[in-house]
Amino acid sequence: MLRPVHRWIWSDFDRRVRKLLLFAEVETDGGRDILRAAEVPPDPLLRRLYLEHAIDELRHGDLFRERGAALLQSSGPRHRTFFSGTPLPGGHGLDDLRVEGEPDHRLLAFLHVAEKAAASRFTIYRECVDDDPPTKAIFEQILRDEVFHMNYTYTQLARVSPESYRWQVWRARASRLWNRYLRLAAAIADLIGGAILTVMYFVLLPPFAWMARRAERRTPPGWTPISREHQDSLTSQY
Amino acid sequence: MKILGISAHYHDSAAALVVDGLPVCAVQEERLSRRKHDAGFPLSAIEWCLDHAGLQPDDLDAVVFYERSMLKFERILTCALRAFPRSWSSFPHAIKNSLGEKVWVRGIISSQLGVPRKKILCTAHHASHAAAAFLTAPTRRAAIITADGVGEWATLTVGHGERKADGSTDITLLREIRFPHSLGMLYSTFTAFLGFNVNEDEYKVMGLAGYGQPTMMDQIGQVIRRTPDGAFALVPDYFEFQTTAGRSYSAKFVELFGPPRKPFDPIDPDTSDGRRFADCAASVQRVLEDTLVDLARTLHAETGLTDLCLGGGVALNGLANARILAESGFERVFVPSAPGDAGCALGAALYADRLYFKNPDREIPDHPFWGPAVDAKELARVASEDSQSVEELDEPALIDRIADELAAGKIVGWMDGASEFGPRALGHRSILAAPHAREMRDRLNRDIKYREDFRPFAPVTPIETADRYFELPPGGARLARFMSGVFPVRPEWRSKLAAITHVDGTARLQALERPMAPRLYALLEAYGRRSGVPVLLNTSFNVAGEPIVNRALEGYSTFRRCGIDALVAGQVVVTKRQGGQA
Repeated sequence: MLRPVHRWIWSDFDRRVRKLLLFAEVETDGGRDILRAAEVPPDPLLRRLYLEHAIDELRHGDLFRERGAALLQSSGPRHRTFFSGTPLPGGHGLDDLRVEGEPDHRLLAFLHVAEKAAASRFTIYRECVDDDPPTKAIFEQILRDEVFHMNYTYTQLARVSPESYRWQVWRARASRLWNRYLRLAAAIADLIGGAILTVMYFVLLPPFAWMARRAERRTPPGWTPISREHQDSLTSQY
Repeated sequence: MKILGISAHYHDSAAALVVDGLPVCAVQEERLSRRKHDAGFPLSAIEWCLDHAGLQPDDLDAVVFYERSMLKFERILTCALRAFPRSWSSFPHAIKNSLGEKVWVRGIISSQLGVPRKKILCTAHHASHAAAAFLTAPTRRAAIITADGVGEWATLTVGHGERKADGSTDITLLREIRFPHSLGMLYSTFTAFLGFNVNEDEYKVMGLAGYGQPTMMDQIGQVIRRTPDGAFALVPDYFEFQTTAGRSYSAKFVELFGPPRKPFDPIDPDTSDGRRFADCAASVQRVLEDTLVDLARTLHAETGLTDLCLGGGVALNGLANARILAESGFERVFVPSAPGDAGCALGAALYADRLYFKNPDREIPDHPFWGPAVDAKELARVASEDSQSVEELDEPALIDRIADELAAGKIVGWMDGASEFGPRALGHRSILAAPHAREMRDRLNRDIKYREDFRPFAPVTPIETADRYFELPPGGARLARFMSGVFPVRPEWRSKLAAITHVDGTARLQALERPMAPRLYALLEAYGRRSGVPVLLNTSFNVAGEPIVNRALEGYSTFRRCGIDALVAGQVVVTKRQGGQA
């Protein structure tokens, strides 16, 4: 249903670069999270599989980063100040993944659902970059890995939780939906909060801004003495 | 008296515990959460500290936060007001960011730990830096300089500290330079301009400086000027960090220095752009050094003291530290192992102990190893389960075996005892290698650390032999104790120490005393017997973008996925089975 939107996103050079670099961060962060998982469980087989999975994700991050960087370098002066400050948005790839204290079956179900969702998105993206064979090749390579990730997580889930593995997958799906809802709600709240603060900024702040600037003019740069009482008072937050 | 120190909410959160005047433990949150520069509330670090000491939160006499959050909020609000209406887009974010969590720090600590609010204290940010620098240093009286990006309002302070004969302690901060006039922010602005991450990659600017010449001093003179009272001021037109969090420098800055580097562009000093970037780095580095040396010289003349304690993130600049030692008149310069914000957790706790509760001074062990200890049995178990080659050797055999491996060009992951507090690996969580060939540096950058070609590696050598290979000024060995100074490699040794000699002929040396890390010291001696040069390349045990390893399992997983040949924890040695990496 959203294919035209994805095609529109990937058709633009800047957006494509931005997406690739964002994926690089997401895959790398996800890889680090899974790496953390590989350092926790007592089950040696799971630990080995998680490690392999983490290495794949970190490699995917590198692939995306190198491709994004190559596209950036191939761009002309139009893109010279494309990233002038912090280059990438923050955020963790698998930001819902809590490794410590999570039982194996929950972690495996989470990973399985996440990998399946990622695979379906990457399949669409692969189709959107027909005009860009190197990027398409990266998606193809990653999709092959995702199949392995989906399979091993499901197989291991069935092994560690033979009675309830289907239920665990459904539960992970529901949890994913709930988290999406929470993220959306938080984003809307953030938007509303931002709008209210912006209105307050223009309505309430002008006289205080005038006073602050006036006070600033009276304070020359250079050394300011430090009051001993202020330094020694540990009960005040001011 | 049991005092917990906490730093959080900006970068490098940490917790430190002081019991009866002595540090018991200290750890950065990133080492436990495994998120580099983790700025979140350091609950894991606090829990570990309390567990390690066998305490419950109720047992604490005080919890000390490292800065005054409301004063910091005042600065953020004032800066937004001063920049009206240009600050309209950053204002909502700044307010939400502060009001969301940061200003309620007392309530957060109280609710997370269940301690009453009256037990929660706050030191001033730079007082925490000053305490971390002075109270951990083996000196009776010293001048103090702290410098970083910004604390509450202060960006740089000067003062002095004294341990008195009656056991009391005094730290007096005399004066400060206030935001937005900040050497740390100046350096960070160039860090952003050069395409690196602010608050993370400043050391890359220092590395890049070695490739350039300070040809842009005049331009930098236009963005920072000295004030008549001997301080300095940034010229606001060139900067935007004071009005927005999204961008550090203005269009006028770009007019002066040219287009910024794109973050993913390779840096090639042979191209004109590459030379310009390297020259920018060299110029801002020179300005930073000149300014700090001048401030230190003035403070030396004013106090007449022979020792100087440096704190704050700027004290991680080893080139500047070495010049301060050589040129300011101070005979000894002390920099703690964690001079940045993480170290403030320890500084805040010590400040409260000595100056607020007025407890008598106690001599603090002069080492950086306050973190969790490595469990060699855990490594042996996990590696055996994965069918890796695992050996448990007695001490002499292990040292000989590892020295042989290093002499054969192998790369060794070395974990020993408690982890370091601070950003440097000082011999307990290190990757070690032979320092002789340039190819070793390239191999480490390419196969192990996955980082830029231009970045140098550091050497470690016994303190007794340091002067043979490096040009150390008087007091240099002390500065090199925690790898806080950059010194020239003696010309006759540069070709034989090519992997650790930077392009400008310098190295960030660690001069090791036997009592601080006796096993690494023994390894250096054994390696020296084989190679004739008791110097090893010592880099932090991590790969790019990850915190230094903490537990044996983290060392093991790093070992499995990069080109490290052998891994040591305690008496256990693991080597890769045929087939290589995971």
